[in-house]
Amino acid sequence: MARSKSARAAGLIGALVISLLGGGCQGTGLVDEGLFNRRSAAPASLASQQRRDPALSGNGRFLASIVEASGRSTVLLQEQPSGRVLPLRHLRSHLPHSSPALSWNGRYLALVLQQGHQPLAAIEDRLSGQLLRLPAPAGARIERLSLAPDGLTLALQLVQGGQQRVQLFDLSALLEPDRPGGLRSSNPLP
Amino acid sequence: MSQHQPLKGLGVGAPSGGGPALNQGGLLALAAMATLLAGCLGTMPVPWAGLNRQLEQAGGHRDPALGDGWLAVIEQKGGRQQVVLIDLKQQRPVAVPGLNRPDALPISVSVDARGERLALVRQLEGRTEVVLYRRGLMSLQPIAMGPGTVPTAVQLRADGRQLAVQVSRAGLWQIDLLDLP
Repeated sequence: MARSKSARAAGLIGALVISLLGGGCQGTGLVDEGLFNRRSAAPASLASQQRRDPALSGNGRFLASIVEASGRSTVLLQEQPSGRVLPLRHLRSHLPHSSPALSWNGRYLALVLQQGHQPLAAIEDRLSGQLLRLPAPAGARIERLSLAPDGLTLALQLVQGGQQRVQLFDLSALLEPDRPGGLRSSNPLP
Repeated sequence: MSQHQPLKGLGVGAPSGGGPALNQGGLLALAAMATLLAGCLGTMPVPWAGLNRQLEQAGGHRDPALGDGWLAVIEQKGGRQQVVLIDLKQQRPVAVPGLNRPDALPISVSVDARGERLALVRQLEGRTEVVLYRRGLMSLQPIAMGPGTVPTAVQLRADGRQLAVQVSRAGLWQIDLLDLP
């Protein structure tokens, strides 16, 4: 009888441990080593060439990154997981590029590019074909940017007077939202 | 948004095809100019003036990452750097207990669309690591990157289910993709 109780207690403890593990070990701070039913914990390298500044679209279909081409930093847009390179209408020049960001469906690709001697924020609308240019506020230089998944807010990292600061801009008067569920446009490409 | 001020210097460029014909007489040119001007005035990015002012007063900031209605950013204040998550609707920071450590230096941060998950590269005790923070659970989970791999930047997919990590490996900058549960 005592042995039976002991076995039952051990079983309960085992079930509790399994339950905790199945729950994702939330809050334990354990290092991920594939214990928690993760689909792919192992990093998958995309290529052997130099690349940086990754940006995934919200739906996971596109990856933008910066690659070194002939010594110049150039944005590269790829479909996932095939790796197929997608053309960009406006962004073959104004190098170097940096800090790409994609909206939810990949309609908008924002990045920092070079116009003359000044870095400039730009957003290519891959659906309408338009390019939106956003110069830095007076006296500031643009270093990085982030675009909200719906494409309606832009954050700029600026350097002004030797200090880094961040400013936000509302783009809702300029861009249509790019939200989950598909693309919509009042001005579709033919 | 009523406090937003228009940003000067915006340009919206049509890729090709040119603009309206302005050389068909004075009246037509005036009408076209008026139309263009009205269009430009209605299509300017608008600074979040109140929030931008708050950010400026709070110290230096870098590495902004936007969700839908959320801003994660690294704040530099009083010689210390920490990750701040701001609710853009309320225009105020929200608590992220357990995310920041006084002995850790944040390098790069990213947030999902809902402001629920944050990914962070930080230096701690002489090494660089990636951690995933779940705000609802207040949990912090280190993510192993493999031997010889030094993470330098992160970008979390908007649905929070995939993480792109910029790494330095064998002298090369590369990008690793990790699926998250």
